[in-house]
Amino acid sequence: MRPRPRIKAKDLRALAIITVVAVIAVAGMFNSALSGAGNLSSFGYGLISAVCPLGAVEAMIAANTVIPRALLSLGVVLLLAVLFGRAFCAWVCPAPLLQRWFPGRRGTKNGSSGQDGPDGEGGQPGPGAPASDSRAYRLMRSVGFDSRYIVLGGALVSTAAFGFPVFCLVCPVGLVFATIFAVFRLFAFGELTVTLLAFPIILVLELVVFRKWCTRICPLGALVSLMAAANRFFRVSWDESKCLEATQGMRCSLCHKACSREKVDPRGKEPAARGPNSCTKCRECTDACPAKAISFPFLSE
Amino acid sequence: MTSSKRTDACPEDQAPAALQAAAGDSPQASAGHGEGGLRPAARAAGITRRSFALGCTGAAALLALGGAVQAFGSDALVRPPGGQDEGAFIAACIRCDKCIQACPEGAVVPAPLEKGLLNARTPTLDFKLGWCDYCEGSHAGVPQCAALCPTEALRLPSGARPEDVVIGKAYIVREWCLAWRLKNCRICVDACPYDAIELNGDGLPVVLLDKCNGCGLCENLCISMIGTRIVDKATDRAVTVRPTAVVEGLLAREAGVGGRP
Repeated sequence: MRPRPRIKAKDLRALAIITVVAVIAVAGMFNSALSGAGNLSSFGYGLISAVCPLGAVEAMIAANTVIPRALLSLGVVLLLAVLFGRAFCAWVCPAPLLQRWFPGRRGTKNGSSGQDGPDGEGGQPGPGAPASDSRAYRLMRSVGFDSRYIVLGGALVSTAAFGFPVFCLVCPVGLVFATIFAVFRLFAFGELTVTLLAFPIILVLELVVFRKWCTRICPLGALVSLMAAANRFFRVSWDESKCLEATQGMRCSLCHKACSREKVDPRGKEPAARGPNSCTKCRECTDACPAKAISFPFLSE
Repeated sequence: MTSSKRTDACPEDQAPAALQAAAGDSPQASAGHGEGGLRPAARAAGITRRSFALGCTGAAALLALGGAVQAFGSDALVRPPGGQDEGAFIAACIRCDKCIQACPEGAVVPAPLEKGLLNARTPTLDFKLGWCDYCEGSHAGVPQCAALCPTEALRLPSGARPEDVVIGKAYIVREWCLAWRLKNCRICVDACPYDAIELNGDGLPVVLLDKCNGCGLCENLCISMIGTRIVDKATDRAVTVRPTAVVEGLLAREAGVGGRP
Protein backbone atom coordinates (compact mmCIF):
# COMPACT_ATOMS: atom_id res chain seq x y z
CA MET A 1 0.00 0.00 0.00
CA ARG A 2 1.41 3.37 -1.03
CA PRO A 3 1.39 6.18 1.52
CA ARG A 4 -1.61 8.40 1.28
CA PRO A 5 -1.01 11.23 -1.17
CA ARG A 6 -0.22 14.44 0.58
CA ILE A 7 -2.50 16.59 -1.54
CA LYS A 8 -6.12 15.48 -1.64
CA ALA A 9 -7.87 15.35 -4.99
CA LYS A 10 -10.39 17.95 -3.94
CA ASP A 11 -7.62 20.42 -3.14
CA LEU A 12 -5.92 19.67 -6.43
CA ARG A 13 -9.18 20.31 -8.24
CA ALA A 14 -9.68 23.60 -6.41
CA LEU A 15 -6.16 24.60 -7.34
CA ALA A 16 -6.75 23.75 -11.00
CA ILE A 17 -10.02 25.69 -11.15
CA ILE A 18 -8.59 28.71 -9.35
CA THR A 19 -5.61 28.71 -11.73
CA VAL A 20 -7.90 28.62 -14.78
CA VAL A 21 -10.10 31.42 -13.44
CA ALA A 22 -7.10 33.51 -12.37
CA VAL A 23 -5.32 33.21 -15.72
CA ILE A 24 -8.47 34.17 -17.61
CA ALA A 25 -9.25 37.04 -15.23
CA VAL A 26 -5.71 38.46 -15.36
CA ALA A 27 -5.54 38.09 -19.15
CA GLY A 28 -8.86 39.90 -19.43
CA MET A 29 -8.06 42.72 -17.04
CA PHE A 30 -4.59 43.74 -18.06
CA ASN A 31 -3.12 44.62 -21.38
CA SER A 32 -0.89 41.67 -21.98
CA ALA A 33 0.27 39.27 -24.64
CA LEU A 34 -3.00 37.47 -24.03
CA SER A 35 -5.19 40.49 -24.79
CA GLY A 36 -8.25 39.27 -26.59
CA ALA A 37 -7.95 35.84 -25.01
CA GLY A 38 -11.61 35.85 -24.06
CA ASN A 39 -13.26 34.14 -21.13
CA LEU A 40 -13.77 30.39 -20.73
CA SER A 41 -16.52 30.52 -23.37
CA SER A 42 -13.79 30.96 -25.96
CA PHE A 43 -10.34 31.08 -24.45
CA GLY A 44 -7.30 31.15 -26.63
CA TYR A 45 -4.59 33.13 -28.31
CA GLY A 46 -5.26 35.17 -31.41
CA LEU A 47 -7.32 33.22 -33.91
CA ILE A 48 -6.86 29.95 -32.01
CA SER A 49 -9.39 29.47 -29.27
CA ALA A 50 -11.36 26.71 -27.65
CA VAL A 51 -14.96 27.74 -28.20
CA CYS A 52 -17.50 26.39 -25.73
CA PRO A 53 -19.00 23.37 -27.52
CA LEU A 54 -22.54 24.23 -26.44
CA GLY A 55 -22.05 27.87 -27.48
CA ALA A 56 -20.66 26.72 -30.84
CA VAL A 57 -23.62 24.39 -31.47
CA GLU A 58 -26.13 27.01 -30.33
CA ALA A 59 -24.55 29.73 -32.48
CA MET A 60 -24.62 27.51 -35.55
CA ILE A 61 -28.24 26.53 -34.92
CA ALA A 62 -29.36 30.12 -34.27
CA ALA A 63 -27.39 31.57 -37.18
CA ASN A 64 -28.50 28.60 -39.31
CA THR A 65 -25.09 28.34 -40.88
CA VAL A 66 -21.81 26.52 -40.50
CA ILE A 67 -19.29 28.67 -38.65
CA PRO A 68 -15.84 27.32 -39.60
CA ARG A 69 -13.96 28.26 -36.45
CA ALA A 70 -16.80 27.06 -34.22
CA LEU A 71 -16.95 23.76 -36.08
CA LEU A 72 -13.18 23.31 -35.92
CA SER A 73 -13.23 24.03 -32.23
CA LEU A 74 -16.01 21.50 -31.76
CA GLY A 75 -13.69 18.91 -33.28
CA VAL A 76 -10.89 19.93 -30.95
CA VAL A 77 -13.19 19.67 -27.94
CA LEU A 78 -14.21 16.19 -29.10
CA LEU A 79 -10.52 15.21 -29.22
CA LEU A 80 -10.13 16.59 -25.71
CA ALA A 81 -13.08 14.43 -24.66
CA VAL A 82 -11.37 11.39 -26.17
CA LEU A 83 -8.32 12.28 -24.08
CA PHE A 84 -9.84 13.50 -20.84
CA GLY A 85 -13.50 12.54 -20.96
CA ARG A 86 -15.67 14.73 -18.80
CA ALA A 87 -12.77 16.02 -16.69
CA PHE A 88 -13.78 19.60 -17.58
CA CYS A 89 -16.67 19.32 -15.11
CA ALA A 90 -14.38 18.64 -12.14
CA TRP A 91 -11.12 20.33 -13.05
CA VAL A 92 -11.95 23.44 -15.09
CA CYS A 93 -15.54 24.56 -14.61
CA PRO A 94 -15.86 26.97 -11.66
CA ALA A 95 -19.39 25.84 -10.77
CA PRO A 96 -18.48 22.91 -8.46
CA LEU A 97 -16.00 25.06 -6.56
CA LEU A 98 -18.66 27.72 -6.00
CA GLN A 99 -20.97 25.01 -4.71
CA ARG A 100 -18.29 23.96 -2.28
CA TRP A 101 -17.74 27.54 -1.09
CA PHE A 102 -21.42 28.32 -0.73
CA PRO A 103 -22.92 25.21 0.74
CA GLY A 104 -26.65 25.17 0.60
CA ARG A 105 -29.06 23.94 3.22
CA ARG A 106 -27.87 20.41 2.99
CA GLY A 107 -24.34 21.22 1.96
CA THR A 108 -21.69 19.62 4.12
CA LYS A 109 -19.18 21.77 5.89
CA ASN A 110 -16.81 19.00 6.84
CA GLY A 111 -14.09 17.34 4.85
CA SER A 112 -16.38 15.94 2.20
CA SER A 113 -17.52 19.38 1.11
CA GLY A 114 -18.04 19.71 -2.58
CA GLN A 115 -19.99 16.52 -2.40
CA ASP A 116 -23.68 16.66 -1.91
CA GLY A 117 -25.01 15.14 1.24
CA PRO A 118 -25.52 11.44 0.86
CA ASP A 119 -29.13 11.68 1.90
CA GLY A 120 -30.21 14.35 -0.49
CA GLU A 121 -29.16 12.84 -3.75
CA GLY A 122 -32.16 10.98 -4.93
CA GLY A 123 -33.18 10.55 -8.50
CA GLN A 124 -30.24 8.75 -9.96
CA PRO A 125 -31.14 7.07 -13.19
CA GLY A 126 -30.63 3.59 -11.87
CA PRO A 127 -33.40 2.94 -9.38
CA GLY A 128 -36.46 1.62 -10.99
CA ALA A 129 -34.75 1.48 -14.33
CA PRO A 130 -35.95 -1.61 -16.09
CA ALA A 131 -33.50 -4.38 -16.68
CA SER A 132 -34.75 -4.47 -20.23
CA ASP A 133 -32.40 -5.47 -22.99
CA SER A 134 -34.06 -3.47 -25.74
CA ARG A 135 -31.68 -1.75 -28.14
CA ALA A 136 -33.01 1.72 -27.37
CA TYR A 137 -32.61 1.07 -23.69
CA ARG A 138 -29.04 -0.14 -24.05
CA LEU A 139 -28.18 2.90 -26.18
CA MET A 140 -29.62 5.20 -23.52
CA ARG A 141 -27.72 3.30 -20.88
CA SER A 142 -24.47 3.54 -22.79
CA VAL A 143 -24.60 7.36 -22.75
CA GLY A 144 -26.03 7.38 -19.23
CA PHE A 145 -29.25 9.06 -20.27
CA ASP A 146 -30.59 11.38 -17.59
CA SER A 147 -32.40 14.66 -17.04
CA ARG A 148 -29.44 16.75 -18.30
CA TYR A 149 -29.97 15.50 -21.84
CA ILE A 150 -33.59 16.62 -21.78
CA VAL A 151 -32.45 20.09 -20.63
CA LEU A 152 -29.85 20.06 -23.43
CA GLY A 153 -32.60 19.26 -25.90
CA GLY A 154 -34.69 22.10 -24.50
CA ALA A 155 -31.76 24.51 -24.85
CA LEU A 156 -31.22 23.59 -28.49
CA VAL A 157 -34.93 23.66 -29.39
CA SER A 158 -35.30 27.05 -27.69
CA THR A 159 -32.22 28.33 -29.54
CA ALA A 160 -33.65 27.17 -32.86
CA ALA A 161 -37.07 28.63 -32.09
CA PHE A 162 -35.98 32.06 -30.89
CA GLY A 163 -32.78 32.60 -32.86
CA PHE A 164 -30.16 33.20 -30.19
CA PRO A 165 -28.04 31.02 -27.89
CA VAL A 166 -30.53 30.75 -25.04
CA PHE A 167 -28.43 28.85 -22.52
CA CYS A 168 -25.58 31.40 -22.83
CA LEU A 169 -27.85 33.90 -21.05
CA VAL A 170 -27.85 31.87 -17.85
CA CYS A 171 -24.71 29.76 -18.20
CA PRO A 172 -22.99 29.70 -14.78
CA VAL A 173 -19.54 29.68 -16.41
CA GLY A 174 -20.37 32.84 -18.33
CA LEU A 175 -21.93 34.45 -15.27
CA VAL A 176 -18.86 33.75 -13.13
CA PHE A 177 -16.59 35.60 -15.54
CA ALA A 178 -19.19 38.31 -16.19
CA THR A 179 -19.27 38.94 -12.44
CA ILE A 180 -15.48 39.04 -12.16
CA PHE A 181 -15.19 41.47 -15.06
CA ALA A 182 -18.10 43.57 -13.78
CA VAL A 183 -16.29 44.02 -10.47
CA PHE A 184 -13.11 44.87 -12.37
CA ARG A 185 -14.93 47.45 -14.50
CA LEU A 186 -16.48 48.99 -11.42
CA PHE A 187 -13.04 49.84 -10.10
CA ALA A 188 -11.30 50.50 -13.42
CA PHE A 189 -13.99 52.57 -15.18
CA GLY A 190 -16.53 53.31 -12.47
CA GLU A 191 -19.19 51.30 -14.31
CA LEU A 192 -21.83 50.75 -11.65
CA THR A 193 -24.52 48.51 -13.14
CA VAL A 194 -27.29 46.17 -12.06
CA THR A 195 -25.09 43.43 -13.50
CA LEU A 196 -22.94 43.54 -10.38
CA LEU A 197 -25.82 42.44 -8.20
CA ALA A 198 -27.98 40.45 -10.59
CA PHE A 199 -25.41 38.02 -11.96
CA PRO A 200 -24.25 36.76 -8.55
CA ILE A 201 -27.91 36.33 -7.56
CA ILE A 202 -28.64 34.25 -10.66
CA LEU A 203 -25.50 32.23 -9.94
CA VAL A 204 -26.55 31.55 -6.37
CA LEU A 205 -30.04 30.58 -7.52
CA GLU A 206 -28.64 28.14 -10.03
CA LEU A 207 -25.84 26.58 -8.03
CA VAL A 208 -26.87 26.86 -4.39
CA VAL A 209 -30.63 26.47 -4.63
CA PHE A 210 -30.30 23.75 -7.26
CA ARG A 211 -27.57 21.76 -5.59
CA LYS A 212 -27.75 19.18 -8.31
CA TRP A 213 -27.13 21.64 -11.12
CA CYS A 214 -24.00 19.83 -12.33
CA THR A 215 -25.33 16.29 -12.18
CA ARG A 216 -28.97 16.77 -13.07
CA ILE A 217 -29.47 20.01 -15.01
CA CYS A 218 -26.39 21.41 -16.74
CA PRO A 219 -26.76 21.01 -20.53
CA LEU A 220 -23.08 21.82 -21.07
CA GLY A 221 -22.16 18.90 -18.85
CA ALA A 222 -24.62 16.78 -20.83
CA LEU A 223 -22.91 17.67 -24.08
CA VAL A 224 -19.49 16.94 -22.58
CA SER A 225 -20.83 13.63 -21.27
CA LEU A 226 -22.08 12.75 -24.74
CA MET A 227 -18.63 13.44 -26.15
CA ALA A 228 -17.03 11.57 -23.24
CA ALA A 229 -18.64 8.39 -24.55
CA ALA A 230 -15.62 8.45 -26.91
CA ASN A 231 -13.17 8.77 -24.01
CA ARG A 232 -10.24 6.35 -24.33
CA PHE A 233 -7.58 7.76 -22.02
CA PHE A 234 -7.31 8.36 -18.27
CA ARG A 235 -10.29 6.08 -17.70
CA VAL A 236 -11.03 4.91 -14.22
CA SER A 237 -9.29 1.62 -13.60
CA TRP A 238 -10.19 -0.82 -10.84
CA ASP A 239 -7.56 -3.28 -9.73
CA GLU A 240 -9.45 -6.37 -8.66
CA SER A 241 -6.33 -7.91 -7.12
CA LYS A 242 -6.14 -5.08 -4.59
CA CYS A 243 -9.83 -4.49 -3.92
CA LEU A 244 -10.83 -5.56 -0.40
CA GLU A 245 -14.19 -6.72 -1.64
CA ALA A 246 -12.76 -8.93 -4.31
CA THR A 247 -9.84 -10.31 -2.33
CA GLN A 248 -11.15 -10.52 1.22
CA GLY A 249 -14.89 -10.52 0.70
CA MET A 250 -15.31 -7.38 2.79
CA ARG A 251 -18.30 -5.14 2.23
CA CYS A 252 -16.63 -1.87 1.32
CA SER A 253 -18.18 0.11 -1.56
CA LEU A 254 -16.29 3.20 -0.37
CA CYS A 255 -15.33 4.09 -3.96
CA HIS A 256 -18.93 4.08 -5.13
CA LYS A 257 -20.04 5.99 -2.05
CA ALA A 258 -17.28 8.56 -2.62
CA CYS A 259 -18.81 9.25 -6.00
CA SER A 260 -21.72 11.01 -4.35
CA ARG A 261 -22.04 13.59 -7.10
CA GLU A 262 -22.00 11.48 -10.19
CA LYS A 263 -22.89 8.06 -8.78
CA VAL A 264 -20.47 6.22 -11.00
CA ASP A 265 -19.25 2.86 -9.77
CA PRO A 266 -15.54 2.43 -10.47
CA ARG A 267 -15.96 -1.33 -10.04
CA GLY A 268 -18.78 -1.45 -12.57
CA LYS A 269 -20.78 -3.61 -10.18
CA GLU A 270 -23.61 -1.40 -9.02
CA PRO A 271 -26.52 -1.87 -11.41
CA ALA A 272 -27.92 1.54 -10.48
CA ALA A 273 -24.69 3.42 -11.15
CA ARG A 274 -24.30 5.88 -14.01
CA GLY A 275 -22.19 5.09 -17.02
CA PRO A 276 -18.45 5.83 -17.14
CA ASN A 277 -19.03 8.81 -19.44
CA SER A 278 -20.53 10.60 -16.44
CA CYS A 279 -17.20 10.23 -14.64
CA THR A 280 -15.53 13.61 -14.19
CA LYS A 281 -12.22 12.03 -13.16
CA CYS A 282 -12.43 13.92 -9.89
CA ARG A 283 -10.38 11.16 -8.19
CA GLU A 284 -12.56 11.09 -5.07
CA CYS A 285 -12.82 7.31 -5.44
CA THR A 286 -9.03 7.03 -5.68
CA ASP A 287 -8.72 8.96 -2.44
CA ALA A 288 -11.47 6.96 -0.75
CA CYS A 289 -10.16 3.48 -1.55
CA PRO A 290 -8.33 2.08 1.48
CA ALA A 291 -6.49 -0.41 -0.73
CA LYS A 292 -5.44 2.04 -3.47
CA ALA A 293 -7.14 -0.17 -6.00
CA ILE A 294 -8.44 2.66 -8.16
CA SER A 295 -6.35 4.74 -10.53
CA PHE A 296 -6.66 6.75 -13.72
CA PRO A 297 -3.89 5.40 -15.95
CA PHE A 298 -3.14 7.02 -19.31
CA LEU A 299 -4.20 3.84 -21.04
CA SER A 300 -5.93 1.05 -19.18
CA GLU A 301 -6.04 -2.63 -20.20
CA MET B 1 -38.14 24.00 -11.28
CA THR B 2 -39.73 23.19 -7.99
CA SER B 3 -39.53 19.54 -8.85
CA SER B 4 -35.85 19.45 -8.00
CA LYS B 5 -36.63 20.42 -4.45
CA ARG B 6 -39.14 17.64 -4.21
CA THR B 7 -36.51 15.28 -5.49
CA ASP B 8 -34.10 16.56 -2.90
CA ALA B 9 -36.42 15.63 -0.10
CA CYS B 10 -36.80 12.01 -1.06
CA PRO B 11 -34.05 9.95 0.49
CA GLU B 12 -36.15 6.82 0.14
CA ASP B 13 -35.30 7.03 -3.52
CA GLN B 14 -32.28 4.88 -2.87
CA ALA B 15 -34.27 2.20 -1.19
CA PRO B 16 -35.96 0.80 -4.29
CA ALA B 17 -32.58 0.53 -5.95
CA ALA B 18 -31.21 -1.54 -3.15
CA LEU B 19 -34.33 -3.67 -3.00
CA GLN B 20 -34.31 -4.29 -6.69
CA ALA B 21 -30.65 -5.02 -6.78
CA ALA B 22 -31.16 -7.55 -4.02
CA ALA B 23 -34.32 -9.15 -5.25
CA GLY B 24 -33.68 -8.80 -8.96
CA ASP B 25 -37.08 -7.26 -9.50
CA SER B 26 -38.57 -7.34 -12.93
CA PRO B 27 -39.40 -4.06 -14.69
CA GLN B 28 -43.10 -4.67 -14.18
CA ALA B 29 -42.62 -4.95 -10.46
CA SER B 30 -40.59 -1.76 -10.31
CA ALA B 31 -43.18 0.09 -12.37
CA GLY B 32 -45.71 -0.57 -9.67
CA HIS B 33 -43.43 0.82 -7.02
CA GLY B 34 -45.06 4.20 -6.38
CA GLU B 35 -42.34 6.86 -6.62
CA GLY B 36 -40.05 4.59 -8.56
CA GLY B 37 -42.71 3.93 -11.17
CA LEU B 38 -42.03 4.93 -14.74
CA ARG B 39 -44.01 6.48 -17.51
CA PRO B 40 -43.70 4.72 -20.83
CA ALA B 41 -41.53 7.51 -22.26
CA ALA B 42 -39.32 7.59 -19.23
CA ARG B 43 -39.15 3.82 -19.12
CA ALA B 44 -37.86 3.72 -22.66
CA ALA B 45 -35.16 6.16 -21.66
CA GLY B 46 -34.28 4.17 -18.58
CA ILE B 47 -34.67 7.04 -16.14
CA THR B 48 -36.95 7.62 -13.21
CA ARG B 49 -40.12 9.63 -13.49
CA ARG B 50 -38.62 12.17 -11.12
CA SER B 51 -35.54 12.58 -13.26
CA PHE B 52 -37.69 12.76 -16.36
CA ALA B 53 -39.82 15.50 -14.78
CA LEU B 54 -36.74 17.46 -13.72
CA GLY B 55 -35.32 17.33 -17.23
CA CYS B 56 -38.62 18.43 -18.74
CA THR B 57 -38.91 21.28 -16.25
CA GLY B 58 -35.41 22.47 -17.12
CA ALA B 59 -36.11 22.23 -20.84
CA ALA B 60 -39.41 24.08 -20.40
CA ALA B 61 -37.65 26.79 -18.37
CA LEU B 62 -35.15 27.38 -21.18
CA LEU B 63 -37.96 27.51 -23.75
CA ALA B 64 -39.85 29.98 -21.56
CA LEU B 65 -36.68 32.04 -21.10
CA GLY B 66 -36.12 32.22 -24.86
CA GLY B 67 -39.73 33.17 -25.50
CA ALA B 68 -39.87 35.75 -22.74
CA VAL B 69 -36.64 37.42 -23.81
CA GLN B 70 -37.85 37.64 -27.37
CA ALA B 71 -41.32 38.83 -26.36
CA PHE B 72 -39.95 41.66 -24.23
CA GLY B 73 -37.63 42.84 -26.98
CA SER B 74 -34.43 44.71 -26.28
CA ASP B 75 -32.87 48.13 -26.81
CA ALA B 76 -30.98 48.76 -30.02
CA LEU B 77 -27.29 49.12 -29.24
CA VAL B 78 -24.29 50.45 -31.13
CA ARG B 79 -22.33 47.33 -32.08
CA PRO B 80 -18.64 47.00 -32.93
CA PRO B 81 -17.73 46.84 -36.64
CA GLY B 82 -19.29 43.82 -38.31
CA GLY B 83 -22.18 43.49 -35.88
CA GLN B 84 -24.58 45.84 -37.64
CA ASP B 85 -26.97 43.10 -38.78
CA GLU B 86 -28.50 42.77 -35.32
CA GLY B 87 -30.34 39.52 -36.06
CA ALA B 88 -27.22 37.77 -37.33
CA PHE B 89 -25.17 39.24 -34.52
CA ILE B 90 -27.42 38.19 -31.66
CA ALA B 91 -27.80 34.71 -33.18
CA ALA B 92 -24.09 34.00 -33.03
CA CYS B 93 -22.74 35.98 -30.07
CA ILE B 94 -21.79 33.66 -27.21
CA ARG B 95 -20.63 36.50 -24.93
CA CYS B 96 -17.02 35.34 -24.83
CA ASP B 97 -15.51 38.79 -24.13
CA LYS B 98 -12.90 38.45 -26.88
CA CYS B 99 -13.88 41.61 -28.78
CA ILE B 100 -14.09 43.56 -25.53
CA GLN B 101 -10.57 42.56 -24.55
CA ALA B 102 -9.16 42.91 -28.05
CA CYS B 103 -10.13 46.56 -28.65
CA PRO B 104 -6.89 48.60 -28.51
CA GLU B 105 -8.95 51.69 -27.70
CA GLY B 106 -10.88 50.01 -24.90
CA ALA B 107 -14.04 51.27 -26.57
CA VAL B 108 -15.79 47.88 -26.75
CA VAL B 109 -17.56 47.20 -23.46
CA PRO B 110 -20.01 44.59 -22.20
CA ALA B 111 -23.58 45.87 -22.26
CA PRO B 112 -25.04 46.01 -18.76
CA LEU B 113 -28.15 44.13 -17.71
CA GLU B 114 -30.07 47.43 -17.83
CA LYS B 115 -30.07 47.11 -21.61
CA GLY B 116 -32.04 43.87 -21.40
CA LEU B 117 -31.25 40.25 -20.60
CA LEU B 118 -30.59 39.52 -24.26
CA ASN B 119 -28.13 42.41 -24.54
CA ALA B 120 -26.39 41.79 -21.23
CA ARG B 121 -22.69 40.94 -21.72
CA THR B 122 -22.88 41.46 -25.49
CA PRO B 123 -20.39 44.00 -26.88
CA THR B 124 -21.37 47.59 -27.40
CA LEU B 125 -19.28 50.71 -27.84
CA ASP B 126 -18.62 53.26 -25.13
CA PHE B 127 -17.22 56.28 -26.91
CA LYS B 128 -16.45 57.96 -23.62
CA LEU B 129 -13.62 55.45 -23.24
CA GLY B 130 -12.35 55.48 -26.78
CA TRP B 131 -13.37 55.68 -30.40
CA CYS B 132 -13.21 53.30 -33.33
CA ASP B 133 -10.39 53.97 -35.77
CA TYR B 134 -11.01 50.53 -37.34
CA CYS B 135 -7.64 49.60 -35.88
CA GLU B 136 -5.89 51.65 -38.57
CA GLY B 137 -3.43 52.97 -36.02
CA SER B 138 -2.66 49.69 -34.31
CA HIS B 139 -3.46 46.78 -36.62
CA ALA B 140 -3.20 48.10 -40.19
CA GLY B 141 -6.93 48.65 -40.52
CA VAL B 142 -8.02 45.16 -39.46
CA PRO B 143 -10.56 45.65 -36.66
CA GLN B 144 -9.45 43.24 -33.96
CA CYS B 145 -12.92 42.75 -32.49
CA ALA B 146 -14.24 41.29 -35.73
CA ALA B 147 -11.00 39.47 -36.53
CA LEU B 148 -11.00 37.59 -33.24
CA CYS B 149 -14.72 36.82 -33.03
CA PRO B 150 -14.81 32.99 -33.02
CA THR B 151 -18.45 32.65 -34.01
CA GLU B 152 -18.62 35.33 -36.73
CA ALA B 153 -21.14 37.35 -34.77
CA LEU B 154 -18.91 40.26 -35.79
CA ARG B 155 -18.20 39.71 -39.44
CA LEU B 156 -16.70 42.13 -41.91
CA PRO B 157 -16.67 41.55 -45.65
CA SER B 158 -13.14 41.14 -46.93
CA GLY B 159 -11.55 44.41 -47.95
CA ALA B 160 -14.13 46.45 -46.07
CA ARG B 161 -13.10 50.08 -45.70
CA PRO B 162 -14.08 52.25 -42.72
CA GLU B 163 -16.37 54.26 -44.99
CA ASP B 164 -18.35 51.10 -45.74
CA VAL B 165 -18.83 50.00 -42.15
CA VAL B 166 -21.44 52.21 -40.56
CA ILE B 167 -21.42 51.60 -36.82
CA GLY B 168 -24.10 54.21 -36.19
CA LYS B 169 -24.73 57.91 -36.68
CA ALA B 170 -23.76 60.92 -34.64
CA TYR B 171 -26.65 62.96 -33.28
CA ILE B 172 -26.41 66.41 -31.75
CA VAL B 173 -28.82 67.40 -28.99
CA ARG B 174 -28.83 71.11 -29.67
CA GLU B 175 -30.13 72.10 -26.23
CA TRP B 176 -27.09 70.50 -24.64
CA CYS B 177 -24.51 71.72 -27.15
CA LEU B 178 -22.04 74.40 -26.20
CA ALA B 179 -21.83 75.70 -29.76
CA TRP B 180 -25.61 75.89 -30.14
CA ARG B 181 -26.00 77.74 -26.85
CA LEU B 182 -22.95 79.93 -26.63
CA LYS B 183 -21.28 79.60 -30.02
CA ASN B 184 -17.62 79.22 -30.77
CA CYS B 185 -17.13 75.55 -29.96
CA ARG B 186 -15.99 73.52 -32.95
CA ILE B 187 -14.22 70.60 -31.33
CA CYS B 188 -16.34 67.93 -33.04
CA VAL B 189 -16.14 69.70 -36.38
CA ASP B 190 -12.36 69.73 -36.27
CA ALA B 191 -12.08 66.22 -34.88
CA CYS B 192 -14.23 64.29 -37.34
CA PRO B 193 -11.93 62.16 -39.54
CA TYR B 194 -14.64 61.89 -42.21
CA ASP B 195 -15.62 65.58 -42.37
CA ALA B 196 -19.11 64.49 -41.40
CA ILE B 197 -19.75 67.42 -39.07
CA GLU B 198 -19.70 70.90 -40.54
CA LEU B 199 -20.68 74.38 -39.46
CA ASN B 200 -23.90 75.62 -41.01
CA GLY B 201 -24.51 79.16 -42.20
CA ASP B 202 -24.86 80.39 -38.63
CA GLY B 203 -21.59 78.77 -37.57
CA LEU B 204 -23.35 75.93 -35.73
CA PRO B 205 -22.32 72.26 -36.01
CA VAL B 206 -24.55 69.86 -37.94
CA VAL B 207 -24.03 66.20 -38.82
CA LEU B 208 -23.86 65.14 -42.46
CA LEU B 209 -25.57 61.77 -42.21
CA ASP B 210 -24.29 60.39 -45.47
CA LYS B 211 -20.68 60.91 -44.44
CA CYS B 212 -20.93 59.85 -40.77
CA ASN B 213 -20.06 56.25 -40.04
CA GLY B 214 -20.30 56.39 -36.28
CA CYS B 215 -16.61 56.23 -35.38
CA GLY B 216 -17.40 58.13 -32.18
CA LEU B 217 -14.44 60.54 -32.09
CA CYS B 218 -16.86 63.49 -31.83
CA GLU B 219 -18.55 61.96 -28.79
CA ASN B 220 -15.19 61.04 -27.33
CA LEU B 221 -13.97 64.64 -27.48
CA CYS B 222 -17.23 66.53 -26.79
CA ILE B 223 -16.72 68.71 -23.73
CA SER B 224 -20.38 69.39 -22.93
CA MET B 225 -20.48 66.94 -20.02
CA ILE B 226 -16.88 66.97 -18.94
CA GLY B 227 -16.42 68.61 -15.57
CA THR B 228 -19.68 70.51 -15.58
CA ARG B 229 -22.94 70.29 -17.47
CA ILE B 230 -23.79 73.02 -19.91
CA VAL B 231 -27.46 72.39 -19.27
CA ASP B 232 -28.66 71.05 -15.93
CA LYS B 233 -31.04 68.53 -17.39
CA ALA B 234 -28.48 67.09 -19.80
CA THR B 235 -27.99 63.37 -19.24
CA ASP B 236 -25.31 62.77 -21.83
CA ARG B 237 -22.83 64.54 -24.03
CA ALA B 238 -24.33 66.80 -26.66
CA VAL B 239 -23.09 64.69 -29.54
CA THR B 240 -23.48 60.93 -29.23
CA VAL B 241 -23.34 58.05 -31.67
CA ARG B 242 -26.49 55.92 -31.72
CA PRO B 243 -27.69 53.09 -33.92
CA THR B 244 -28.53 54.31 -37.42
CA ALA B 245 -32.19 53.34 -37.13
CA VAL B 246 -32.51 55.21 -33.84
CA VAL B 247 -31.07 58.41 -35.33
CA GLU B 248 -33.30 58.11 -38.38
CA GLY B 249 -36.28 57.75 -36.04
CA LEU B 250 -35.25 60.83 -34.06
CA LEU B 251 -34.81 62.89 -37.23
CA ALA B 252 -38.13 61.73 -38.63
CA ARG B 253 -39.88 62.71 -35.42
CA GLU B 254 -38.27 66.14 -35.50
CA ALA B 255 -39.32 66.60 -39.11
CA GLY B 256 -42.83 65.52 -38.14
CA VAL B 257 -43.20 68.25 -35.51
CA GLY B 258 -42.07 70.94 -37.90
CA GLY B 259 -38.32 70.99 -37.84
CA ARG B 260 -35.88 71.40 -35.03
CA PRO B 261 -36.09 74.15 -32.47
